[in-house]
Amino acid sequence: MSGNADILIIEDESTIADFLRIGLSYEGYKVVIAKDGKTALDYIKEKEFDLIILDIMLPDIDGFELCQKFRNRNLSIPIIMLTAKKEVSDRVKGLDIGADDYITKPFSFEELLARIRAQLRRSGRKVENTKLYAGDIVLDLETREVTKAGELIYLTPTEFSLLELFMKHPRRVFTRETLINRVLGYNYIGETNVIDVHVSHLRDKIGDRPPRLIRTHYGVGYAFYPEC
Amino acid sequence: MLKIWNKFSLRARLSLLYVGLLTLSICVVGIHSYWNVWHLLFYNTANHLRAQAKPVIEHWLYSKSDQGKVLPSVSESFSLAKIAKPLAYDLTSRNTVAIILDKNGKILATGKRLPEEPLPPSPNSYYYSRALAGENEVNYQTVVNNEPTLVLLIPLRATPVSRKILGVAQISTSLSPISQILFKHGMMLILVAAITLMAGGGLGFILISSALKNLRKMVNICQDISKGDLSQRVNFSYYHDEIGMLAGAFNNMVARIEAIFESQRRFVANAAHELRTPLTALQGSLEVLLRGSQDDPSAVAKLSRGMYQEVTRLIRLCEQLLGLSRLDSSSNIQKKLLNLNEFFDDFIQQAKLLALDRNVVLKKGPFVYVKADANILSQILFNLIYNAVQHTEEGGNIILGWRLVPDEVEIWVSDDGEGIAPEDIPHIFEPFYQGKSSDRKGNKGAGLGLSLVKAMVEAHSGYVEAKSQLGKGTTIKFNLPLT
Repeated sequence: MSGNADILIIEDESTIADFLRIGLSYEGYKVVIAKDGKTALDYIKEKEFDLIILDIMLPDIDGFELCQKFRNRNLSIPIIMLTAKKEVSDRVKGLDIGADDYITKPFSFEELLARIRAQLRRSGRKVENTKLYAGDIVLDLETREVTKAGELIYLTPTEFSLLELFMKHPRRVFTRETLINRVLGYNYIGETNVIDVHVSHLRDKIGDRPPRLIRTHYGVGYAFYPEC
Repeated sequence: MLKIWNKFSLRARLSLLYVGLLTLSICVVGIHSYWNVWHLLFYNTANHLRAQAKPVIEHWLYSKSDQGKVLPSVSESFSLAKIAKPLAYDLTSRNTVAIILDKNGKILATGKRLPEEPLPPSPNSYYYSRALAGENEVNYQTVVNNEPTLVLLIPLRATPVSRKILGVAQISTSLSPISQILFKHGMMLILVAAITLMAGGGLGFILISSALKNLRKMVNICQDISKGDLSQRVNFSYYHDEIGMLAGAFNNMVARIEAIFESQRRFVANAAHELRTPLTALQGSLEVLLRGSQDDPSAVAKLSRGMYQEVTRLIRLCEQLLGLSRLDSSSNIQKKLLNLNEFFDDFIQQAKLLALDRNVVLKKGPFVYVKADANILSQILFNLIYNAVQHTEEGGNIILGWRLVPDEVEIWVSDDGEGIAPEDIPHIFEPFYQGKSSDRKGNKGAGLGLSLVKAMVEAHSGYVEAKSQLGKGTTIKFNLPLT
């Protein structure tokens, strides 16, 4: 798992705050939203966060000022700034004041996730495991190798992505649509049961026999149960 | 010819013209002076010779009485031929030579005896006959032995006042000394003219160049500006001449263009910025849904509602931008005489739909016709009511109406909502301006509504004003001219 890191989102646009909250929760983060700078400062006093996502345009306190306040309190939390301003001077100012990263709107959610992971890794707060375990199956994210009882299993990239997704989110039921989106991309057009073929191949390769690691939820999709 | 002339630069043309005029005037003055000097020397010499000759002739022709009276020597025994020789001799000197002619033009005597004395020119019958006819001062110039020679003819009279002319004395002298003086004078004139021309031409060229240098500079700056650097200015406004005036006018023009460009640029940047937030929300929401949140019905409900809100916002922004651009051309405004009573009767029904739970009250003014585009007038009022709704609580009051003021009709929309901060009031009609209090409800606009209202009112030659008190409410009124 990506470590249940606590993330504080400071963003006044409710639609943006909503998708960030839903999206990040789905990825396994614990998310708290502050709609303005004052609330954010209150939250900071109460609780320790692992990462802050800070919008520069806030109704009460300027994002730069807020960032400086955090740094003055000697907080070493990684801060990712979020803004619609694209000028280099703004980025430089943000980074000078103490932001750790800077992302401009509109941005891809995937990119934001990657930057969050990078910041968490760098700060050493919630270290993401580079190896995932399920029974005697080991998946190495760095070498992209999968072994079962020490023996190497050859997987296609699609099969590898499927197994990675399952192992990162045990017990979560994925619909076929979601699985397609995640392993074949958002632009995939075609039958959804193509995913059944990939799952079936994957089951064969990892020697998955009943009671299976990858179980079918009829009419819904698939889920991964590592303990069995 | 004119075509070739026009091909030259202004500097070349002015310089050529200047040098040409200078040459012409120097030539006229020089020639006039040369001729004057020649004339002076010529007649001076002639008069000098005559003055010398007069007593000699009188001595030989007339005898003087004791009283000093000149007596005529007209006697039967007097013969010109007798005295011709001594007279000629007496009239001849080192550089003049005389000959005496009788009535028939026959040479009676020649004064030349010594070889160094000049050769007399042969008599010219035309001038001779004029002298014989009694003309006292006949002078002319001829050439003897390649030397310019002055010839004077003096009629010899029987008595000093007599009409009877016995003969003519011809005195001639070389003009070489005069010619030399004239030659020197001419050389002097040419030298002075050359120096004047060179100095004048050079100085003129420098003056013209320096006057036109600024024009050249302006040309360079214009080229820089046309490449896109609108911050360039012509920097010689300290010249108070025509070029300085041109530079000033030019700078004003460029400054104005730059300001327009800048405001356009800012407008586009602001518009793009306003697009960014809804687009971010849409992109992010869709991505989150596709990544798997689509499997969670509550997330789908929440995110799709948000996306719908953002799309509505985009559409509204799009319409406002279109509205602003449409107002740029007056052909899109069709003004007709509008009965305000009828107009508001129709409008109030739609306004009530738009106002949701707010109370909308219409306070009618006097019966009046206004020349306006009904469509645009409703858009103005819709925008104002939309704004009022955004800034009032449910159950709040919105009052609209009109009244007559001199030459104008004043239409207003007022509410009892949160009001506008005093520091925001001067800016609320600027495009994309958003006051601090404007986002309390979370459904932000782009800040274009009021600037659109202002543009639409101004398209009707009217003006718009805002009055507001924080916590008490806002009144926005606009005046349209009557007829």
